Amino acid sequence: MRLSSSLNEKPYRSVMIATIAAFLILVGKLVELQIVRSDYYTELSSRNHIRSVVRPAPRGIIRDRNGVVLADNLPAFTVSVISVEFDSTNAGLLGDLLQADREELRERLDAAEATPYRSTQIVSDLTVEEAGRVADNLYRLGGVSVEVLPRRRYSHGFSFCHLIGYVGLADSTRVFEGELTGRTGLERILNRRLAGSHGVIREVVDTHGRVVERYLGGDVEPEPGENIVITLDSRLQLVADSLIMSTGHPGAAVVLNYETGEILVLSSVPGYDTNQFIGGISSENWNKILNEPGKPLLNRAWATAYPPGSTYKIVSAAWLLESGIVDENTMPDPCYGTFHFAGSDFRCWGIHGRLNIVGALTQSCDTYFYRTSMLGDMDEMAEFSRGYGMGAPVTDILPGEVSGALPTRELLNHLFGQGGWGLGNLMIASIGQGEVLASPLQIAVTAALIASGGELPALSILKKEPPSGVTWETNTSEETFRIVREGMRLAVSSSRGTLHGSMSYLPVQVFGKSGTAENGPNEDHAWVNGYIEEPLPVAFAVIIENGGHGGAVAGPVAASIIEKILEISYETE
Amino acid sequence: MRQSEKTDWFFVVSLSLLLSLGLLNVFSASGSQKSLFTHQLVFVLAGVGVFIGASVFPLRFLEESTPFLYGFTTILLILTIFFGGGPAGRWLQIGPLNVQASEIAKLCVIVLTARWLPALRRESVSGGVSLYLFTVGILTVLTFLQPDLGTAVAMVMIIFGMIYWAGFGFGWIFLFLSPLFAAISSIKFVLWMTFTATLCGVLYRSGAKPRRWVFFLVMTSIVAAATPTAWGILRPYQQARLTTFLNPEADPHGAGWNVIQSKVAIGSGGVTGQGYLNGSQNELAFLPARHTDFVFSVWAEEWGFIGSVFLLFLYMVLAWRILNGARRSLNPFNSMVGAGTAIFIIIHVVVNVGMTLGMMPVTGLPLPLVTYGGSHLVTEMMLLGFSYNAIRNWRSY
Repeated sequence: MRLSSSLNEKPYRSVMIATIAAFLILVGKLVELQIVRSDYYTELSSRNHIRSVVRPAPRGIIRDRNGVVLADNLPAFTVSVISVEFDSTNAGLLGDLLQADREELRERLDAAEATPYRSTQIVSDLTVEEAGRVADNLYRLGGVSVEVLPRRRYSHGFSFCHLIGYVGLADSTRVFEGELTGRTGLERILNRRLAGSHGVIREVVDTHGRVVERYLGGDVEPEPGENIVITLDSRLQLVADSLIMSTGHPGAAVVLNYETGEILVLSSVPGYDTNQFIGGISSENWNKILNEPGKPLLNRAWATAYPPGSTYKIVSAAWLLESGIVDENTMPDPCYGTFHFAGSDFRCWGIHGRLNIVGALTQSCDTYFYRTSMLGDMDEMAEFSRGYGMGAPVTDILPGEVSGALPTRELLNHLFGQGGWGLGNLMIASIGQGEVLASPLQIAVTAALIASGGELPALSILKKEPPSGVTWETNTSEETFRIVREGMRLAVSSSRGTLHGSMSYLPVQVFGKSGTAENGPNEDHAWVNGYIEEPLPVAFAVIIENGGHGGAVAGPVAASIIEKILEISYETE
Repeated sequence: MRQSEKTDWFFVVSLSLLLSLGLLNVFSASGSQKSLFTHQLVFVLAGVGVFIGASVFPLRFLEESTPFLYGFTTILLILTIFFGGGPAGRWLQIGPLNVQASEIAKLCVIVLTARWLPALRRESVSGGVSLYLFTVGILTVLTFLQPDLGTAVAMVMIIFGMIYWAGFGFGWIFLFLSPLFAAISSIKFVLWMTFTATLCGVLYRSGAKPRRWVFFLVMTSIVAAATPTAWGILRPYQQARLTTFLNPEADPHGAGWNVIQSKVAIGSGGVTGQGYLNGSQNELAFLPARHTDFVFSVWAEEWGFIGSVFLLFLYMVLAWRILNGARRSLNPFNSMVGAGTAIFIIIHVVVNVGMTLGMMPVTGLPLPLVTYGGSHLVTEMMLLGFSYNAIRNWRSY
């Protein structure tokens, strides 16, 4: 029996020996890994991890009403380093690849050590070639990554600097390195909508900090930011900007459609290029902007309150009519150029003789308003003016909108003390001086309310969104509207009108009111507001700071804007 | 005639331990997908049933039904090539089951070889060697086309071992494997020259008849000539798989990384391990294919050096009991089935564990009885059942 089994004896022994040998080799390797080098592998194991990498969401694109892109995104390459995974002996290599200054790179790498486990941007805005050189060498640069981050671009940075604003790197609350957040303007106000939500992919990082593969599962796709369409017309805005600039003075212009409430122009000159703020502005450029004489950071369209001067007369005239102090035929004593009252001289800019209210608006006679307003009540006038959008912000969206000011007993008591003021303050206020302050936007709204007969809808900046926000109660009769409109019509059409010289040439009827606002010891501010009915129902206001006479300086600017509106509306027909 | 011996406790205990520890390990490796564990439990229970059936199945009947098994396997392999699904296209869906035909092919190769080789050893059957090479070659090539290169290579190694077990000398082994060598030698002319010279030497020493000379020279020449064309037919990813198999360093980011992770897992296990369900590499899902190819890494991380060696020891005991039974077996077929099974187990353990240790190329070869999956488990349990049958009935002829 054993005899035949001996046939298998030799292979049995060989196979057993070979098997034992093979198993011993495996055991030998196990000894090496699990006993001799166990500490090493335990250390590696603790450094193994899954890294979350944020995929920024593309920020929403901002367009104007005609689809012109005002803010969009460009891809920009950045190089980031995770300190704990970066071998500092590779700094030289990284420097060579980036052709960066050694010292500067060293500083940034040191700075990155503050957040050792987080990806920190070392260099941004690389060209494709520069980024490519680093990307090609990533295999020997553990902890380094090349990323494409969206970079904001503003197509008309200067013109829309106040409205759209700019983005900057988010502060300490940021979710990820390179996260952008809106700093000013709509970028800030609408940040949540524009930003979208960033996505996350999880990468498996090996023991050397190199990305080895995607960790499947748990990925979050980025949600692109919402695209925003604003009601402004960039063509008009650009024209308004250049017109104001051509006066050589700072200024602002507002145009709005009084049937829809859509704002078409919010021009504030000078502006600054918002593109230079992206990724942090250099202190040199920042100082340049700060020290520029025109103060470009100052937003003149809705965040600065000026004495409105005679443009306010359309409101005070309506108040005089509604309060019954005057009617269309009331003719107070004539204007002799100066009105003596209570020992003071109240000056008019001309000698207008005897006028009714239409004539007073046409020729902008101050004396008429002195003589009539003194019969009224200051608080009533302020309350009435509030119904015209003054003394409070007119939108609920524009950032930093000023309220302006209206004189009330309370305010004057506060300012001058009981008895420290008198009827003169009311008289001065009735011609838009003294304690009356308003932004160009508010002044445009007063004209829009006259034009629309008090039916102006809430103002809108964002297209296709139901209007919400501030509305007004003018408490004004149709008859009063008719009289004030007539005064505004004649201010342009009558040969005696203050705007006749600058606006009567236009092929459409313009209803306007000029203003020459005294401004302490400085040159007067030149104002104009008004509206047209055809071809578009728009109201406007223009101010040229220290420009001088309203009809002569602001009038032509407004006229040219209207020309552009005519040109555009004929185009679109 | 049948004189069954009493229970081989070494065999039964080591097999039971391997199955239980394997289940335990799959539970840990399946992470949050605990359904994998329930599946595996079903597979194991099915495997035990198959084992019991195979251990009482008349081996003579198995020997006689070899042609049917061969036909069945060949059809399965061909069907998989055309209708295969799953992640690697190696699964054939039959009803609710996903069958991996290449696993069954391994069983078939063992039975086929056990059926033919002893006969060829005893008496020279005209054209027998060529017929055997042809039939086994078809199985190997079909397995390769699954595509399952790892299993095809394992098959060749099992055949190699079984040829040796059958008592053929190394010259014979060379002759049997000459088609494979011919294919490899076609890479370079010098290699082919060396191969052909060696072939002539072996043929001369074995005193082959002219007919055998002609057969081998013509056959190997055809194979060598056809190989470059066949290579060209392969898709790039298939070529890549082949070259990666032959040279794993060429693909450091794919398979290479898995091996690094596996080594980290095993090394961090230390002597006593990190504790069951506590392997950080495993629990953090760092290990690739951790319930399949790299299941040993999970084990080694959680149970450490002691656990690893214990597991290897269990395989060793199992292989020893089978080989011992095969050695004693009076029936050459039974002996060959046992030897084939033992070699099967040994090769799979060495290749799989060697892979997790970074000593072997990365292939999809499972760790017998432990890796998640039904096809290989049932195949192994069937082979083990036949082997146990052979051990207990070593006296039968």
